[in-house]
Amino acid sequence: MAITRYTKMAYDKADDMVFGHAKHPVSYGFGIKVGAGRVIPELNYAPRPGTEKDIARITKEYVDYISQDAVNRAVTLGFPDLQLETEWISQMGTNSKMAESIVAGQTALLEKMHDKYGINLAIRHTLPDQREADQGLRPKMDKAHSYPERLVISAEIACENGASLISCETMGGKELLDYGVMTGDITACLFGIGYLGSLDMSWIWPQFVDIAKKNKVVPGGDTNCSGANTSMFMAGGYLDNDVQRTFSAVTRAFASARTLCAWECGATGPDKDCGYEGPICKAIAGKPNAQEGKNCQCAHADLQGNLMAQICDVWSNESVEYHSEFGGSSVQCWLGSLGYEVALMNTAIAFGKQKTLRDLYMFTDRARGPEGYILAYDNAYKIGQAIVAEGKDLYRRAKAAGLTAAKVIRDGNKKKEILLTTKQKDVLDGIIKTLEKLPDEESKFVDYCLKQYKDVPAFNPKNYDL
Amino acid sequence: MLSKKGVDFGFILKRYDIEAENKSSPESYAKKALPKDAVFKACAEDVLYMRFKDIGKTVTKALESKKPLDIINEGLVPGMEIVGKLYADHIYYLPEIMLAAKTMEIGIALAEKKLGGARKTKGVAVMHVAEGDPHDIGKNIAAVMMRAAGFTVVDLGRDVAVDDVIASIIKEKPFLVTGTALMTTTMSAFPAIAAKMKAKGIDIPFMSAGGAVNREFSEGFELGIYSEKAPQTPPIADKIVAGYNWKKIRDEWDKIVGGA
Repeated sequence: MAITRYTKMAYDKADDMVFGHAKHPVSYGFGIKVGAGRVIPELNYAPRPGTEKDIARITKEYVDYISQDAVNRAVTLGFPDLQLETEWISQMGTNSKMAESIVAGQTALLEKMHDKYGINLAIRHTLPDQREADQGLRPKMDKAHSYPERLVISAEIACENGASLISCETMGGKELLDYGVMTGDITACLFGIGYLGSLDMSWIWPQFVDIAKKNKVVPGGDTNCSGANTSMFMAGGYLDNDVQRTFSAVTRAFASARTLCAWECGATGPDKDCGYEGPICKAIAGKPNAQEGKNCQCAHADLQGNLMAQICDVWSNESVEYHSEFGGSSVQCWLGSLGYEVALMNTAIAFGKQKTLRDLYMFTDRARGPEGYILAYDNAYKIGQAIVAEGKDLYRRAKAAGLTAAKVIRDGNKKKEILLTTKQKDVLDGIIKTLEKLPDEESKFVDYCLKQYKDVPAFNPKNYDL
Repeated sequence: MLSKKGVDFGFILKRYDIEAENKSSPESYAKKALPKDAVFKACAEDVLYMRFKDIGKTVTKALESKKPLDIINEGLVPGMEIVGKLYADHIYYLPEIMLAAKTMEIGIALAEKKLGGARKTKGVAVMHVAEGDPHDIGKNIAAVMMRAAGFTVVDLGRDVAVDDVIASIIKEKPFLVTGTALMTTTMSAFPAIAAKMKAKGIDIPFMSAGGAVNREFSEGFELGIYSEKAPQTPPIADKIVAGYNWKKIRDEWDKIVGGA
């Protein structure tokens, strides 16, 4: 599968982007159409601890409890569409029979419910990337678990047993990102997610796309959950701040250049909901974008809960553990929350007011923090432009994304659009200085990083063919 | 795009981080808390200002006139204690803690070399991430904080099998075992580990932590205690070393972690 790097923007201007519409809509599952004029709710869940102990029990948890509850509630509340997402538990990644049973069982249920009620249904399977950098990220390197081989096998199992679309949260470069976040080293983050992450995705995603296409399954996309989200959660909110939010905003921009690689390898979207870099990727590629925010408080809080809905095509709850609530099971309650939000978006579309609602979503969080500020669709578009201007150079485009994001925040702060603490500002100034000093040539940057980060735990250049 | 002209964003949100910003400097804390003795002060300052490239030279020079243990206890550790206060008061953040701890560890290693062996620490903690779980940043941060607080950490890494944890407990004889998990279906290993510990007569606390874990789960099995975030681990460990068993930690948990 050839990799085609983006060198121009899908949209002529930022204002052309709205929720529910993508330049390249995708259809799959039992009647689901994404980016074709309507936003789709996506429900993600986690089974209760202990249910993983045997195949029959875990299959029952996923099929008879979680999936059945969700579809019942969607029909009860009159939602026209529902997409489920099963983020594979680690046991599914190592136990093929368990994975086959769950994938086939969920799909059979969805087909039955689609036939019974006419509700549009689909299921995303998110493959578990259990690869460990110290053991080896490529085949034949991991002698202990064979995780690289298992990842490809997981894709085959999902596609052969009924997945509507597949996604993955690939882990390439995480060892450098973790080091960079913990020590405040922005260059390590650029190297980790911007460069190594892009190399890793450019290796694994052509394989996912081939397997998906062979089985007529949609290859969705990726997310930098393991990297930029780690940074975002460490940056936290106003009470739980361990990393500066200006720092996490720049790592998010690096992540956009990396997450784009899945689509450049032939994935079609929707990408993964937890990839907050999605607005930048959609601006570049025009492929459907899955996001999460205000309706994922069951999983985590962030400072851009409304804003993330601004141009989404799929709206998700991130993940909720299955248990009872007053209003039903947890999946039913959070689906209700999701589904009504999506109904609001679709009502705005039906009344021709989608741009108004988009802007209201965006403005509620535009000034809440630097990460939301750079993800506001107009600023996301500017970062996208910086990426495509560097086109095929994975290093330069990631650096350009980060530097553009940093300058967008700096300029916004000067205009008093986004307020910063002294510490946030100092860190931002330091980032701009550091990134501007880095070499222009990829080879010089790589040589520098290989020397500078040779002792970072678990970092092995062979994982990336370096 | 809608015009934002005339919109009062203070009506929509409140930037508590801007309003509550602590503008004190590390220097103002240093003035009050640095050791008086010039040699110890130099060691403490290197830790406080994260001079990990200089600490080797500073400690080597200090060893010419001071005993290694005194350099650790009256220079390096007090420097780290100031860092802890700066972190608690939101002047320093995680990267400063990590780099200061790294600086202190370089200094301690040099002093211990002169001492002819490792100094006596407060105790040994065995830390790991559950089998099948690759997310280890929380455990890594907690491990650094434990070392900085004067404990020895045996770090088993991530994706660790139950029996490997048990083998390490038998070998290292720790006062505390910790397990971290980000997934609901990997944290099931924790009660299994605790049950095996009980079966072998090992009656020490098992601390569960991580995104998927909550207090109810952690305290749902014998030996189990909870840590919500990395900075809570050292104060809980201090209480265990002081003689608290897992039941007493549970009883006084809110009080113990209140200031963490």
